[in-house]
Amino acid sequence: MERKLMERKMQVVLVIVFTIFGLLAFRLFYMQLIQNDKFSTLARENRMRLTNITAPRGEVFDRWGGKLVGNEPVYTVSLVNLAGESTGDVVPRLASIMGINPVEIEEKIANQKQLYEPVKIATRVSPEVVTRIEEQRLELPGVVIDIEPQRQYPSGSILSHVMGYVRQINPEQLAEHQGEGYKMGDPFGQSGLEYTYEKFLRGQDGGRQVEVDSMARPVRDLGVKEPVPGNNLVLTIDQRVQKAAEEALEEGSKLAVSQGYGEARAGAAVALDVNTGAVLAMASYPSYDPVKLSGVLTQNDYEEIFNSPWKPMLNRALLAYAPGSTFKMIVAMAGLDTGKTTLESTISDPGYFFWGRAFNDWKLDGHGTVDLIKALKVSCDTYFYQLGLRLGIDEIARVAREFGLGEKTGIELPGEESGVVPDAVAKIEQRIPYLSSDDTKKVREIQQRYDELLGKTTDEAQRKALMSKRSSELQAVEWELDWHDYDTIISSIGQGDNRYTTLEMANYIATLANGGTRYKPYLVQRVVSQDGRLVQDNSPIELGRVSVSPASMAAARQGMLEVTLPPDGTAYGFFNGFPPVAAKTGTAEVLNHDSHALFVAFAPYDKPEIAVAVVIEYAGHGGTIGGPVAEDMIAAYLGLPIPGQKMINTPE
Amino acid sequence: MLTIFTQSRLFKKVDYTLLLTVATIILFSLVIIYSATKPTDVLPVAEGVSNSGDAFASVKKQIINICLGFVAMAMALYIHYEDLAKHTKALYILNLIMLGAVLFVGDSALGAQRWIEIGPFRFQPSEFSKLIIIICFAAFLDSRQGRLNRFRDLLPCFAFIGVPLLFILKQPDLGTSLVFMAIMFGMLFVAGARPSLLIGLLLGGLALACLWIGAHFWFEAHSNYNLWIPLKDYQLKRLIIFINPWQDWHGDGYHIIQSQIAIGQGGLFGRGLFNGSQTHGNFLPIQETDFIFSVVGEELGFAGAILLLFLFFVLIYRCIHIAINARDNFGFLLSAGVVSMLTFHVLVNVGMTSGIMPVTGIPLPMFSYGGSNMVTNLAALGLLLNINMRRQQIVF
Repeated sequence: MERKLMERKMQVVLVIVFTIFGLLAFRLFYMQLIQNDKFSTLARENRMRLTNITAPRGEVFDRWGGKLVGNEPVYTVSLVNLAGESTGDVVPRLASIMGINPVEIEEKIANQKQLYEPVKIATRVSPEVVTRIEEQRLELPGVVIDIEPQRQYPSGSILSHVMGYVRQINPEQLAEHQGEGYKMGDPFGQSGLEYTYEKFLRGQDGGRQVEVDSMARPVRDLGVKEPVPGNNLVLTIDQRVQKAAEEALEEGSKLAVSQGYGEARAGAAVALDVNTGAVLAMASYPSYDPVKLSGVLTQNDYEEIFNSPWKPMLNRALLAYAPGSTFKMIVAMAGLDTGKTTLESTISDPGYFFWGRAFNDWKLDGHGTVDLIKALKVSCDTYFYQLGLRLGIDEIARVAREFGLGEKTGIELPGEESGVVPDAVAKIEQRIPYLSSDDTKKVREIQQRYDELLGKTTDEAQRKALMSKRSSELQAVEWELDWHDYDTIISSIGQGDNRYTTLEMANYIATLANGGTRYKPYLVQRVVSQDGRLVQDNSPIELGRVSVSPASMAAARQGMLEVTLPPDGTAYGFFNGFPPVAAKTGTAEVLNHDSHALFVAFAPYDKPEIAVAVVIEYAGHGGTIGGPVAEDMIAAYLGLPIPGQKMINTPE
Repeated sequence: MLTIFTQSRLFKKVDYTLLLTVATIILFSLVIIYSATKPTDVLPVAEGVSNSGDAFASVKKQIINICLGFVAMAMALYIHYEDLAKHTKALYILNLIMLGAVLFVGDSALGAQRWIEIGPFRFQPSEFSKLIIIICFAAFLDSRQGRLNRFRDLLPCFAFIGVPLLFILKQPDLGTSLVFMAIMFGMLFVAGARPSLLIGLLLGGLALACLWIGAHFWFEAHSNYNLWIPLKDYQLKRLIIFINPWQDWHGDGYHIIQSQIAIGQGGLFGRGLFNGSQTHGNFLPIQETDFIFSVVGEELGFAGAILLLFLFFVLIYRCIHIAINARDNFGFLLSAGVVSMLTFHVLVNVGMTSGIMPVTGIPLPMFSYGGSNMVTNLAALGLLLNINMRRQQIVF
């Protein structure tokens, strides 16, 4: 019967069905029981992630314990390279939410190909952006939001040049510091103390074992290794003085601009503890906001910070400027010490000094009869032209060097310039870069030969010897390079090749004020670990004592005191209501520009504590513009009311 | 009056084993659908940001689908199934119209048009067409008894199945096309077609397909010649990637691998219900529909997976039983068609999730989330219950 056949066929079907189910069961048995280990491992790799917990950097305090730099939690956005999920759509979407160019993200993830490894796209992401990302979560697989400590500046952006800024480590830095456990996206001190003290400030990152979902979102915490914060720094900085300096520099610049000195847009001020070399304040103007440099840098901010003609990133306290008349104490001390002048001897100043040509005094009708103290008080150029010529440049240079001029102080900051003390060798060094093509073949030949020799040696003494040999050889062929009397004469009033950093100037005044001990300026008083352990304690370092006699120094100090006294001290009018303050103004002529305004001071006169040096570029007159800055700083230090701006009528 | 009386007597003959098995499978599925669709609790990064959502949303919708399915089942029980044979022409045409409509007004998903929207309902005609084709083909074969021994005899059968099959291929829905083939071969087999002929055709077709695909790739690799193939590129890739998913493990192979990881890490008793890391980390693709079996494998392990397979086996066994006891050839063939359909679905779906079958997008009957699949299967089983009820002549 047909039907019987069909039923038999149905039994065959049953066998087939049974076989199929047996096959499936066997497959499951094989996968789940035999290969279970393999698949469990794969599943673990899928879901387990060790995420980094960035350690907060050490905090920074001023000498009174006021917090200058702290940390705050900010949002970061990272992108995880997920298998199976294309980033093609994620990148433009994320970029549009964050308001950045997709190319920036592409570039960042191009560096990091490793699977499941997050690449930090941005730090300091605003809560609004975070919310928008969270809203679009499902369209943004692999986008991870984290919280990370970032630099915070409770007192605003003061001390930015000294502190420097922190930013994600760049590829070059990463290559350089690979051995120290840095990785992409880590914060790294880019300048200032953040850079110099990087290894102290940097903490030890912690880790967090988490279970994640397929979009790399954390689902469960499995264990945490807490991060260890970096060490704290206690600075020598006095926040009050620092703040006064920064504000006064800005006001000084504005005042100068208002007086018609349009280029007076930058300057620097340094205050030192006379008896230790501790830096009480170090300010540079214009400044920048380090917060802007830590996160997503907008095009606007970038232009403002990096392409401004006033270069706010420069720490001008470490750049060398001609000192102008603030240099005169050096010449005065050299004169007294060598007996080329005495306190009693006088000259008659007709308003110029004639030596081959006329060298004018700033006061064209002359100062009349002038002795050394008066010469300092009224800043008589004629007196110093004559004295300098009698001394010769080598004597002047010797004393200048004893006071640390022309030599890096060795402060804990990158980018310090050494400055230049003028003499025959220095002159050639200065001129060599400017030798033009019409110079004789001989000059080029000498240069070439010595360049090769200098390139071969690294020994400092040998280099010096080579340079001086080169100088004499060059001098023999080139009159322009030779040292002449007029070089000595203009150097005697702080012009010519004289160039010193504001820090060097402050240290020179501090050395003069304390009676001749030159300390190494320093910014970090101590390094303290998070649990209060003292990691490093810095005590004053003596760099040397000057050979100048105490009497000569006393005379120079007295001359500086007179500067602030009536009726004709060049800084008379400042420091009203202060204990006696000693000071000196300086106006350094700059070719084709307005003069730089300089001012140095120390106080109190009788028992000096603080030394100050100020420079404002192209601001015309040292007293008018530099004086108020020093005044404000000293007032802040002494706890006096800060006088603010005022006009005085003595130009210099 | 008489009908109600007879019906109530008939109900005593309902196959309660089958019904109970179906109910168990469905309850089981609801638990797993809940697990698969429950939103992942992500640790909050920012305060106040959470991923809220109704964890039961899919379960609720599926319950509605189940209700619709049982209504369909009840309707299938109520009618005289023999009457269906009289309307096969109309059913066949209706089927073609539905499938045609998909091509013109259907919604697309994943590059294929499969859906039709009517009011709030979205349904997949290709699912219903499986049952319709079983009914029509059963009637067709019934009318051609004993004329299936030569290849020439089979040609009308191929044409009968071939027309709607082409419509479905056009969508394109490779999975359903294959189900049609399975139904056709299964029913031809029990209808008495020569087994050697069927096996020959099956193996020949398979060999031809392999050769064709092989040649396509050979030409692609060795020359610029693009050998035509009736598949879209994505279908072809998905079709063969299961052979070695690791060759493109972060691309096309990703989902198969994730599914295998899920099942494989399940072990004997699984990671625990609602506790699968592959499921709740959303590593598993479309885990409430095509890959729902992986959730069972991961969370309930070998034990759970075997239990589910056992339930399906019982179900299919009952269907075979019903076929054998059917009163007439139409009922017999119809049951055989349903057996073929269910078996093929289970084989291909479980095979796909465990990496021994290509990914063709075939749901697990009455287990995967979705209404069309549920309604079709419950209606089919309703017909079988109907056949079972009327297995003997009722003598008054």
